[in-house]
Amino acid sequence: MKLGKEEIQKIVLGVLLFFGLVYSYFNLLLFPLLARQEAFDKSIKGLGPTTTAANSQIANTKKMESEAPGVAMVVHQVNALIPPGSPVAWFPTRMADFFKRRGIDRVTTRLNSESVDKRFAGYRKLTWGIDIPRVGFVQFASAISALENDEPLIEITSMQIEAGREDVELQHILITVNNLVKQ
Amino acid sequence: MALHLNLYHEIQKTRALKRRDPLKISLYVLGAIAIAFACYYVVQRIYMNTLVDELNQKKAAYDKLAPLAKAAKKREEDLTLKVKASDELIHRLEGRFYWAPVLEQFMSVVPRDVQVMRLNGEIPTEGIPRCVIGIDGLSAGSDPRKVAEQLRTSLADAFKTKFKKVTSTFRTLEDGTEVVMLDGKQVPTATFAIVLQLYLVDPEPVKAPTRIKR
Repeated sequence: MKLGKEEIQKIVLGVLLFFGLVYSYFNLLLFPLLARQEAFDKSIKGLGPTTTAANSQIANTKKMESEAPGVAMVVHQVNALIPPGSPVAWFPTRMADFFKRRGIDRVTTRLNSESVDKRFAGYRKLTWGIDIPRVGFVQFASAISALENDEPLIEITSMQIEAGREDVELQHILITVNNLVKQ
Repeated sequence: MALHLNLYHEIQKTRALKRRDPLKISLYVLGAIAIAFACYYVVQRIYMNTLVDELNQKKAAYDKLAPLAKAAKKREEDLTLKVKASDELIHRLEGRFYWAPVLEQFMSVVPRDVQVMRLNGEIPTEGIPRCVIGIDGLSAGSDPRKVAEQLRTSLADAFKTKFKKVTSTFRTLEDGTEVVMLDGKQVPTATFAIVLQLYLVDPEPVKAPTRIKR
């Protein structure tokens, strides 16, 4: 069969139409659709771990909250040990009374420094110097034992004991303590 | 054989030509392909819609969860801080250095032929947790240096059981110039300064210096 010029032209036209159709279909319709599908699929897959993480975060927090009353109790107990008001007003008096109850008079307490310890959020650390001009060693040791038992927030950081010049049985003692107070 | 003449051959030829018109055939083929493509596109479009629905559902669920999770995270941070502070408070309360047992032990160790003139105790804020006690005093006896040495060793022995490590060293030990009365006798004296270190944790062993190969 011999094709005429007109037929060849038609075949060429048909081929061109075919390529045009294929090109338009893939580039203008199918590929953008598949790309969007892929993007949606990625978003869905991405949301999975995020949702799981959010759920586990909520579960963890609930678990922590169930254990929180114990934590709050410690903080509450510590706060109960701290009197209200300025520490400069109550601490020296408290120390003087404490030592007086154990027969040690003329105790002077001075504030040395004040600092914020990052470990104890909501509290500040005050350093005091307690001067006891005349005291027997045994009496002092007994008072220190009672102080360490009665005042859990107080920590003795240094102690200077010097024998008296006039009476060797009596010592001049200077102790440095730090205590926690509310911020 | 009879002669057969086809007088319609031109008409038949035209019809045949019409039947195998390439443009028509190609249009049919194109149409078929276009239908197949359209079907595939529709299927993909339906799948796409299900994906959109699924994403919207998941997004809506996440949008509900996200503020809750954010609040939970903040709450967890607050709780963590509180737990940490509580632990630190407990550690401070329970990990304090207690001086009363040290003073009690000290009283039991110091003999009657030693007079302690000065005692300085300190908990250094830096370095290995320990208590450093400096003791200045006067020992008396026929051999006052021996008395001071006995005090030094007694101190180390007395505290050895209660602390991880104890060191007791002389800073100074000198013969005294004064003579004191002890049990009705005049005896010579020695002045001493002892440094007593009570370690609350095991100090790290000191590494031996290594030789550099040349």
